[in-house]
Amino acid sequence: MKKIIFLYLTFVNLAFAYNYDEVLLKAQASIFPKIILLDKKLNYKLINGEIVYTIVHDESDYLIALDIRNFINKKFKGQLDKYTYRINLVNISDFSEKTQASSIYVLHVGASIVKVATIAKEKGIISFSYAVDNLKKGLMFSLSIEKSTVLYLEKRNLPSQDVDFVDSLLQIVRFIDSNVLKKTITNRKI
Amino acid sequence: MPKEIKSLSSKIILLIALILISSILIIFSVFEKTNKEAFYSVEIEKANLVLRIIEPLITLNIFLGMEDRIQSTVLQLIENQNILAIKVFKDNKIINEQKSKEYDMNIEDSFIIKKNLYQPNSKNKIGSIILVYSSKNYKELVNGYTNLLLKVLFAFSIFFLLFGLYLKKLLSPLKNIAKSLENYSPDYEINIPYTKQNNEIGLISKALNDMQKSILQYSKQQQNINKYLEDKVSEKTLKLRTQLYTNSLTKLPNRLSLLHDISIFNDTALLIINIDDFKEINDFFGQIAGDNVLIAFANKLENTLSMEEDITLIHLGGDEFALFFMKKPTLKNFVETAKTLIIEIEKMLFFHEENELSIRVTVGGALQTQEALEKADIALKSAKKRRKSFLLYDEKLKVEQQYKNNIEWVKKINLAIQNDKIVPFFQPIFDNKMNTLVSCECLMRLIDEDNNVITPFHFLNIAKKSKLYVKLTKIMIKKSCQYFEHLDCDFSVNLSVEDMLDEEIVNYIKFNMKRYNVSKKIVFEILETEGIESYEEVSLFIEEMKSIGCRIAIDDFGSGYSNFAYLLQLNIDYIKIDGSLIKNLDNDLNAKIVVETIVSFAKKLNVIVIAEYVHNEAIHQKVKELNIDRSQGFHLSEPQEQLTL
Repeated sequence: MKKIIFLYLTFVNLAFAYNYDEVLLKAQASIFPKIILLDKKLNYKLINGEIVYTIVHDESDYLIALDIRNFINKKFKGQLDKYTYRINLVNISDFSEKTQASSIYVLHVGASIVKVATIAKEKGIISFSYAVDNLKKGLMFSLSIEKSTVLYLEKRNLPSQDVDFVDSLLQIVRFIDSNVLKKTITNRKI
Repeated sequence: MPKEIKSLSSKIILLIALILISSILIIFSVFEKTNKEAFYSVEIEKANLVLRIIEPLITLNIFLGMEDRIQSTVLQLIENQNILAIKVFKDNKIINEQKSKEYDMNIEDSFIIKKNLYQPNSKNKIGSIILVYSSKNYKELVNGYTNLLLKVLFAFSIFFLLFGLYLKKLLSPLKNIAKSLENYSPDYEINIPYTKQNNEIGLISKALNDMQKSILQYSKQQQNINKYLEDKVSEKTLKLRTQLYTNSLTKLPNRLSLLHDISIFNDTALLIINIDDFKEINDFFGQIAGDNVLIAFANKLENTLSMEEDITLIHLGGDEFALFFMKKPTLKNFVETAKTLIIEIEKMLFFHEENELSIRVTVGGALQTQEALEKADIALKSAKKRRKSFLLYDEKLKVEQQYKNNIEWVKKINLAIQNDKIVPFFQPIFDNKMNTLVSCECLMRLIDEDNNVITPFHFLNIAKKSKLYVKLTKIMIKKSCQYFEHLDCDFSVNLSVEDMLDEEIVNYIKFNMKRYNVSKKIVFEILETEGIESYEEVSLFIEEMKSIGCRIAIDDFGSGYSNFAYLLQLNIDYIKIDGSLIKNLDNDLNAKIVVETIVSFAKKLNVIVIAEYVHNEAIHQKVKELNIDRSQGFHLSEPQEQLTL
């Protein structure tokens, strides 16, 4: 019976688990932490003097989130430029306004994405989404690999008083509008 | 030697051209330099601008690790034809390099700009970018600009060439006017061109033309004035010449005329006629009468000589006339003419009011042409001196020699004064009863260059004529007073009436007497003749001197017509009997009587009598016999340079 339950849970999880592009995940894990450094108001977002990079995931994506954390730690070795950082893995069900975060990276969390976006906005922190189409829910950045690496930015979320990016960042991003988003979604690799 | 540029227009053009060429060259150089620099800066700025545009993108892509995006950016850039190559380094490692097609062709003329890339929001260097930018544009700009400047310069040159030619053309009338004036003379009118032109040249021409007319008119007037003045000057010259050579009173030729004639003729003779005592006529009848006599005398002489063509009558001035013989007569004729003339003159009668006047003349003649006037004058003076009516100049007269002697003596006296060689000699005077020295006479002596002692006999008269006498008197007074300052002996000094009348000498005597304290010792010897002739003046001097303790002696007493009464009033202390009486005392009875009378007279007046010229013992004995108080003479002592008391 126990085996049945374990298998059930495993398969259920597998059945409900989202398919992530490993290359894209790695690209995002490499680039998003650096984008945090491009915020001129980063100092206001530090928690106990360090950057808290919170990865919000669904129950089923815990391992993915864990892999991402390992990848980031391996790449940056606990130091982003002059700042130390900490990666906080938070289950979407645990995510609330009280969750500590200097920025948020969201994997697939279904309809809860709106909640994440809302809290991120309230906190005035930068939010990254694995999926580009989540940007229309209120998240700020996403990244896709097309002919080249494309960084997306949700226009509506930009005029936040709490975030002030270096100008050049705005030159290389592709701003999201509905057409672009459709096109992007069509072309993205899944 | 290159021909000097004299044309005004050429100078102006040359000057303007020089200034403009210099200005253009300076502007050209400055502009070329500044513009080249500006063009260079522009091109560099353009390259920098490109770099500045792409730098953030590339930096961010490097930073975010999105190097794949750099390629597209670089490819876009390389499409710009001015960009020859781009190299992107990440941590000194080339991560992207692109070269354009023109790279190999234009690499030599290019700018290379390098820019370091820094991490956004940080100063960490993360890479660099090198841009090779073509200088083709820059060169095109520079060449274009240089061409433009050269064109402008060329255009300016053409413009100034044309301007110069135009200026030359404008000023050419001035040259023509100057040419027309080259042969200008105030005596005739010339044709000045361009007078009709209605411009500045025309105005100059008209002004010159008007000026020419005025000068012509003025010249004519000036010529008339000059002619008038020349005539006047000639007339005046003639008048002055006549006046110069004519005596204004008698209208006869004058001394100057004579000198002129003497200089012209070679073989001549001259007679000078002087009217004797003409001064008396002037004084007695007046100056006008004298002048009338001179005029009448001149007329009569003219009449007398009217037949003599070779003789010119001359009025030398005052009472002197001359006959100038233009041909030398024989000696006999010359002397006869002179004597006849004297006789004729003596026959002449002149009238003044109711008085009948006759004159006598003295004539001096010279048959020599050389220095005729001087020689005739010497002859005249000699004739006067010898009281002859006519004397012919003779070398034997030795007058010239006498003049020379006088000049020599003046020199000697001056030299002696300068060298302090005028000295007093002292001749003792002895008391006849006591046979003791009681006084000394100070006698002037001149020591010449050979140390000869010379008595004043030789030079005193010359000294008086040459104004050196005052100096000699002063020397004698000072040295005599100084010598006897500390000697207990009286001394006498000879004074002339000129000395006594000269205030300067009198003051000098008083000063020295006081200075050497000798007023009680000094005796002034005054000549008897002078004492009588200038009685008043001498009397005043004696009075003044006696008031300060001096004594007075009358010297050479008995030589003149002694007036005892006068002498009595002079309040004298000594009488020195004239040597001419003393020296003959032993054999001349008259002299003895005169001396006896003088002694008797003096004794009554308590005046001490001194005998001079006691030259032997016999005389000395006679002197003593005649009761003369004191004796002086060579027998007793000669004058000595130093006195032995």
